[in-house]
Amino acid sequence: MRNQGIASERDNGYGARGLQEGEDSPMTQREPERPQDCAQLGIHALGEAVEEVRGRAADDIGLFRFRLTRTDGVRNNMHMHTVADPVVRGNAIHRAAYIDPAVFALEQERIFRRAWLYVGHESEVPQPGDHVLTRIGPDEVILVRREDGGLSLLHNRCAHRGARVVSEPSGNTRQLRCPYHAWSYRLDGSLIGVPLADGYASDCKLPGLAAVPRVESYKGFVFASHSATGPSLADFLGGLRSAFDNLVDRAPAGTLTRFGGSLRLEYRGNWKMFLENAVDLVHPGFVHKSSVDAIRAHPAALQADAITQQGAQMFLANGMRATQWDEVPLHAFPGGHVYMGGFYKQGVIAAEREDPVFERYRKALVERHGEEKAAAVLSVDRFNNIIWPNVSVNARFGAMRIVRPLAVDHTVVDVVCFKLDGAPPEMHDLTLQFVNLAASPASLVASDDLEIFERCQRGLANPGNEWIDMRRGVLGDRRQVDGSVISKGTSELPMRHQFETWQKWMFA
Amino acid sequence: MTEVEAFLLREARLLDEQRYEDWLGLFSDDAIYWIPTRANQVTVQEALSIIYEPRNLLAVRVERLSRREMHVQSPPSRTVHHVSAIEVDGDEARSALIVAEWRGGESRFFAGRVTHKLRKEANGLRIVLKRVDLIDGEAPHRAIAVPL
Repeated sequence: MRNQGIASERDNGYGARGLQEGEDSPMTQREPERPQDCAQLGIHALGEAVEEVRGRAADDIGLFRFRLTRTDGVRNNMHMHTVADPVVRGNAIHRAAYIDPAVFALEQERIFRRAWLYVGHESEVPQPGDHVLTRIGPDEVILVRREDGGLSLLHNRCAHRGARVVSEPSGNTRQLRCPYHAWSYRLDGSLIGVPLADGYASDCKLPGLAAVPRVESYKGFVFASHSATGPSLADFLGGLRSAFDNLVDRAPAGTLTRFGGSLRLEYRGNWKMFLENAVDLVHPGFVHKSSVDAIRAHPAALQADAITQQGAQMFLANGMRATQWDEVPLHAFPGGHVYMGGFYKQGVIAAEREDPVFERYRKALVERHGEEKAAAVLSVDRFNNIIWPNVSVNARFGAMRIVRPLAVDHTVVDVVCFKLDGAPPEMHDLTLQFVNLAASPASLVASDDLEIFERCQRGLANPGNEWIDMRRGVLGDRRQVDGSVISKGTSELPMRHQFETWQKWMFA
Repeated sequence: MTEVEAFLLREARLLDEQRYEDWLGLFSDDAIYWIPTRANQVTVQEALSIIYEPRNLLAVRVERLSRREMHVQSPPSRTVHHVSAIEVDGDEARSALIVAEWRGGESRFFAGRVTHKLRKEANGLRIVLKRVDLIDGEAPHRAIAVPL
């Protein structure tokens, strides 16, 4: 690469000039075709002219141009790339998207301060005065059930001197009172009063707790947005409302209850890796090989009680051949949402299985929906549903993962699960243990994913191939009449799609 | 030193020496290895667990630890399982545990209280239940590969 380690002319964007030179592009080295052609081939070609994106992004130069250092303090050549340079070109992503703190800062502003973000479930705050601490993007907020039954989402920061008003993870209260100087607030955040009020002028207007402007619930799942305007939650969820619909439809009583606390995972890597990996169907055969081989060597668990069996079969399922993974459909929807079809066909929650617990559950579901709809609800066979930008829902197993970016190279993932109200209690046990085995930081499966994210993060800090190619399977992408795109399982469609959406939020 | 104390110290040493098959051999056929998330959790049905494994799943975990393709142990960790404050009450032993782990240039620590339920079998003491209550089971954790 010509400019190794030296900031020189800023020509490493993806204008035509840069591409034709192309010495730094792994794509042009390997393929005779030019990246422009890739963009035409890809259904996920950019929606607008490259120059336009570049022109608008250039506004950021003054704000977000600084030199990068690696975490170990050794300067690399990342400073050649500023946020002003496009990070997505055709079906390739510049490594800056994962490692540049300036990109991360911009993501916080343009994605996490604008998008609808999941903040909790209504079952966590059923009664007036119930509240839980949660997060929206980087901000700690209090989700409160008001006396009028509505929900408020309040910044956990006293309007007086800034102390956290609530410190317990959950509770019930008639008013919120700051421990520092006892300013007290109604459940909607408005100020009730302050001690020594005569210390203020009589016409002095004092503020209440700041509220997040938009809070909406979709079938019990509460989302909020820092942006006072924009599409409704239902429109935002778009084609993947179906993930929540299906999860709720699976409950014989028609409602869900969050239970079991949460599992919390942490890795020293970029937040986007988690959601890409959750719909990457090539990695399991390699990343999870040790658990596949281990269950093959110790098949006793496959014959054990239902709960054990279910986990063991999940380990085994990662060992499918590439041709089998190809049969698992991927489906990408406008808005950045993606789901992958099911691949794990065994186990008690699978409709095919005859099991006394499942049979009781199925009967309860038939009572609610009738035979036909109950069968349809149970036949929805998807594994991960990714709700852009940071949620993964597994409706069949009642589980949900929320990805929380802490820094460009530091991410926490909260794993939570739901009871299908009205289902036999044994079903809840299955849910818990499935999540334990699949998603815990000590999981035989998830632990290797976390390791790979950390390896990617460390690897990406090294200069070399600046662009990450995401073209696998692009020729198989098929656009549907509703604007969504389907592809076979081993396609990198989800990554292309997530980055196309990412680019729109970041730079359009 | 009592038989139970010696047993617990040996168990810890087998983990530090990466003799995982031998470690598994200390568990009875009906054993459970459990690391709850929640302090004071009574039943496994109450909450998610970092690990809840009957012996036949624990055997899969141990088998995996011998596999070269176990990326999260390539290279392997070095650990010290420090067991202290052992109290024996019938078939139950309670102890304090601190695990220091070094891997890939970084160190970290786990701390918790451990409860062992033990049974005298033909070939000596065996673990029927090992429960590790971490002080921070509810906190985010990076990948956990070496048993605690």
